[in-house]
Amino acid sequence: MSEQVSIAEARIDRAPTVLKAYGLGSCVAVGLYDPETRLGGMGHMLLPNRPSSNPHGSESKYVDAGIRQIIDELLRAGANRETLVAKIAGGANMFETSYQTLINSVGARNAKSARQILGSLDIPIIGEDVGGNRGRTVEFDLATGKMLVYCAHTEKPVSL
Amino acid sequence: MPFRKLNNVQMDILKETSNVGMGHAATALSQMIGHPVKLRVPHVTITEISQVPEYLGGAEKMMVGITLQVLGDARGSIMLLFPQESAHRLLCNLIGDQGKVLIMNEITISTLKEVGNILASAYLSALGSMLHKTLIPSVPLLAYDMAGAVVDYVLIDLSKSSDLAMLVETDFVGESPSDLAIKGHFFLIPDPSTLDMFLAAAGGDQ
Repeated sequence: MSEQVSIAEARIDRAPTVLKAYGLGSCVAVGLYDPETRLGGMGHMLLPNRPSSNPHGSESKYVDAGIRQIIDELLRAGANRETLVAKIAGGANMFETSYQTLINSVGARNAKSARQILGSLDIPIIGEDVGGNRGRTVEFDLATGKMLVYCAHTEKPVSL
Repeated sequence: MPFRKLNNVQMDILKETSNVGMGHAATALSQMIGHPVKLRVPHVTITEISQVPEYLGGAEKMMVGITLQVLGDARGSIMLLFPQESAHRLLCNLIGDQGKVLIMNEITISTLKEVGNILASAYLSALGSMLHKTLIPSVPLLAYDMAGAVVDYVLIDLSKSSDLAMLVETDFVGESPSDLAIKGHFFLIPDPSTLDMFLAAAGGDQ
């Protein structure tokens, strides 16, 4: 069974569900997994940090708030905080150019934000495929905790 | 500003301004490829940001995306999307036989960017003269990848201030038999404050 995680969404589920995020560009997909209870979650996030004043929209739009939300939901569902591990994919710069604006680096900032938050929460990142200028589709298998990352221009997925 | 509050009159104003702009763009494209290109009446769609990739025919569909920023009196983005088959046909028309599949190299990338530039400039100059505003397109940027990955670039910009995206969509349709048709989507994604200005300048209620 597979469940889609659309842009600005985050969801948790348990084995044997496969969580899928299609066509990530600058967005970042963060998968969190507890191998003992085989509970896991994934977010498909757009922006690095939720502003502290007047935040707009759902938590799962932001990398930092989205990760916290997934962790809260996983703990409530019975996952162990100590055994959680994380995997990250996405954060590309699709329109590579010398004409740089802030938006051009949003992919890199998304990935950086994910690393910072996970680091501050002491959750180890055991796999990542970030950056570059390729779109990615991510499949996060909650039966095994394995994350497969497909690129449009290559045949074989990267296995995290 | 919440897009949801647009009424029918305001939607019509956006459609009509877009129609005029696209008329100019279609003429430019027809002249460039030497075949008539028709344009379908634009749709103005207001949709959740998360639904945009589905709206384009699926997040994994391979697309060539050319994006430009709108600078000057109004701000926003323009995104021109061609399904890969259409981009291939467009290139065959413009610079000769391209073989069987779309290959991205310096010449094809540069050609497609130039198409984007011409279409966006024609569109913006028509729109600008109608609204008495100066609208300038930035340098075009190009990506050839999955639709979702190509459009999240503009969605990210938009998502800072809104959960909804307004897409002014136009389809290009060649007059030749369907297997030779060139199809494309043209999206004008105004910043929320720019949208207010468009509507005011076009004589609608804000």
